[in-house]
Amino acid sequence: MSSAGTSNKPAPGHVSASGQLQQRRGLGDLIAKKPEMVTLGLLIAICIAVAIANPAFLQPSTLIDIGRASVVTGLFALGVFVILAAGGIDVSFTAIAALTMYSITLLAINHAPNMPIYVVFLIAVAGGIALGVLNGFLVYTLRVPSLIVTIGTQYLFRGGLLAFVGTTWIMELPGQMGTFGRISLLEFETANGATVSLPVYFLILPAAAILTWWIMRRTLMGRAIFSLGGSPDVTARLGYNVKIVHLFVFGYAGALAGLAGIVHVTANRLANPFDLVGTEIAVIAAVVLGGARITGGTGSVIGTMLGVLLVVVVDNVLVMVGIPSTWQRVFVGAFILLAAAFFVTRQRKFKPAK
Amino acid sequence: MTQNTQKNRCFLELRNIHKRFGGVHALRGVDLSLEAGEVYHLLGENGCGKSTVIKIMAGAHPPSEGQIVLDGEVFNELTPIQSLDFGIETVYQDLSLIPNLSVMENVALGEQLVEGHGRLLRRIDRARMQKTATKALSQVGLDVTPELMSTIVSELPLATRQLVAIARAIACEARLVIMDEPTTSLTRREVENLIDVVSRLRSQNVAVLFVTHKLEECYRIGGHAIVFRDGQCVAQGPIESYSRADLAELMTGRQISEKRYREGSPSEDTLMSLSNFSMPGRFNDVGFDLRKGEVLGITGLSDSGRNELALAIAGIRPAASGTISINDKNIRIATASDSIDAGIAYVPEDRLSEGLFLSKSIYQNEVALILRKLAGFMGILDMKKGKEIAREISADMRLNTADIELPVSSLSGGNQQRVLIGRWLSINPEILVLHGPTVGVDVGSKDAIYQTIQKMAEDGMGLIIVSDDLPELLQNCDRILVMNAGEVVSDLNGASASEDDIYQAMLGSVQEGAA
Repeated sequence: MSSAGTSNKPAPGHVSASGQLQQRRGLGDLIAKKPEMVTLGLLIAICIAVAIANPAFLQPSTLIDIGRASVVTGLFALGVFVILAAGGIDVSFTAIAALTMYSITLLAINHAPNMPIYVVFLIAVAGGIALGVLNGFLVYTLRVPSLIVTIGTQYLFRGGLLAFVGTTWIMELPGQMGTFGRISLLEFETANGATVSLPVYFLILPAAAILTWWIMRRTLMGRAIFSLGGSPDVTARLGYNVKIVHLFVFGYAGALAGLAGIVHVTANRLANPFDLVGTEIAVIAAVVLGGARITGGTGSVIGTMLGVLLVVVVDNVLVMVGIPSTWQRVFVGAFILLAAAFFVTRQRKFKPAK
Repeated sequence: MTQNTQKNRCFLELRNIHKRFGGVHALRGVDLSLEAGEVYHLLGENGCGKSTVIKIMAGAHPPSEGQIVLDGEVFNELTPIQSLDFGIETVYQDLSLIPNLSVMENVALGEQLVEGHGRLLRRIDRARMQKTATKALSQVGLDVTPELMSTIVSELPLATRQLVAIARAIACEARLVIMDEPTTSLTRREVENLIDVVSRLRSQNVAVLFVTHKLEECYRIGGHAIVFRDGQCVAQGPIESYSRADLAELMTGRQISEKRYREGSPSEDTLMSLSNFSMPGRFNDVGFDLRKGEVLGITGLSDSGRNELALAIAGIRPAASGTISINDKNIRIATASDSIDAGIAYVPEDRLSEGLFLSKSIYQNEVALILRKLAGFMGILDMKKGKEIAREISADMRLNTADIELPVSSLSGGNQQRVLIGRWLSINPEILVLHGPTVGVDVGSKDAIYQTIQKMAEDGMGLIIVSDDLPELLQNCDRILVMNAGEVVSDLNGASASEDDIYQAMLGSVQEGAA
């Protein structure tokens, strides 16, 4: 505490002071600047622990399992990250995914069974954008906290799906959607002779991550999103169109949710209208574990991806060391508290003296 | 560097601008014209409409009535991006930096935003951003290093942030630079640097509009004075043609500004004695005596430790070491209630968030501290007695309403402040610590608050005023302690000191430290 106090002590105008300030902090400074390092450390620690307990963990198929299991959560998480960076929060994305995936599956079965797979994806993305933009529009015009708005729209979207679209499972997917889930990118033979394959749809996640990284780091929109999360009033005052930023972040998250929905259907070869909704907290947890503050204005794509991996690894590999699946939540919960406590104490030290 | 050989012409004109916020008429028909290459000083008391007029020029608020003319083009209102497009750059009083972005981004991103007329789906040209930021930052006198460029603004000391805000305003090809109190946390040398920046802007035919309370600086820089009072422009002309007294009178509309409220003198008895009071990194080895009936001022720059000292005396953020005694009895202050029990009342700086229950009535606010006294059988409150007390307090504090059931939010800033002070008087404290007692308060209320302060001192209370409003301290205090970098560096006599003396002490050793 005292070191933060003295380095904040004014040597006004002498910014070389801030240079010293960085040198003096070393590791703590690195963690404060790159909170995702904590996530990475935690991830590596878990992997080592599991590998020691059960060497079967160390084979390519584990990696493939984790990769496959990360796609849907990862796409959701990228959307949540973008909204968190802008100072908002979204809990409706799972409902957007459920509504679009189920409606499009029905549409394909009943009206356009021969629709090419890329059209299916385009419609899903368009549907996701439409629903997301509605969120953004409501948040901006009603000036209501986005948590409240998206709780409302989550009920609305999901209620609409179950009331008007359908409640039955669709086991027989239209041909193109069924096959897409099975096209594989890589195939491995495991020690016990079974084949595991990394499906092509896995590529959607890194592609979306790179696109998100590019938008957030390299475009004015990305900077405007962080600005909005840092200080909404100032952002408007500096000439940024705050309305467009709202529509963009929620629309973008909607698009990713639409994508995630279709991936979910093709991967499971099943369209279940009751799926997905209820997983939002795990996704938000992954993003926060990746170093994004719930209060907005921070975070990174790398961190978000690490957070997702952490949650997926805990979900998938604890079984391998004999920890029952009921304990997974205890672990995720403990990690969240640990990370939160860690980040908050760092922030407190960094808060400038007023 | 576009050398405009043409004679100075009007760049910006305001015609009959009115602005209302709900029931408040903040601007009442302002006419103003600013010419290229000229320097203007916008003067006026707090709440006279200075900030509002700036925000209208910057496009942050639309006017309720009237027109804005830019280069002959007439607008009913401006958006921020239009205003920036015309080259109007503003250094806001709150600096308006984006706390979570880097220095480079804060300084130079605006250029690319304005060029695209606000379009956001564009790639950032990082090389150009770096070039623009480097140039602007070195112009304001900062040592441009890669670390500085990538530092997140919220990690910078206040003075550096102020320079960054100024750098942002001059980073683009500005035509009018508005600076709202740009020198509050700058050292002398940085102020000199700023004055150089201004003359450079002027030679590039850029208009500069200063908003400031520091008259010495206005006279040094020279140019035109524009004086606002109650939302109107009451005078405009070359600054040399006005004396300080003229300006003060124009700003207040009466000749009260130089009047000294303090007439009495303290008794000989020491009421409170502080010694070796320290909190590492905030204030160090502070000691002073407060006598009965004394009004003691404490001032310093915002990071001098004065605020922390006040909070420590009030027990809100207790000091790490040191002793405090009241009436020769040593006491320990670890929490706010320790300090209340010891007879110390503290009226916070930010009355809205720290002091008042805005949606509750005047009555409920005024009796908030004496609820225990009002509680009778099984804790049931004696409302009738409470209301009686509240009525008395309201009358003592000369509130402008007799209706104690009104919510506090319906009162003006000055009256709210009086409710807050009145609440503390209900527990008859021996010592009253007032933190920025007249921040955001109108002239009339100021007068009433100062009279109350003096009356309390006459009744034998010891008062401490922590404030950066220098005239306020000079008008009210017996002694003024000036803090700098956590230490009391000067103990001035309130009757004989001048604003300049205080400034010297506030800035003096910072200067030494920086050199």
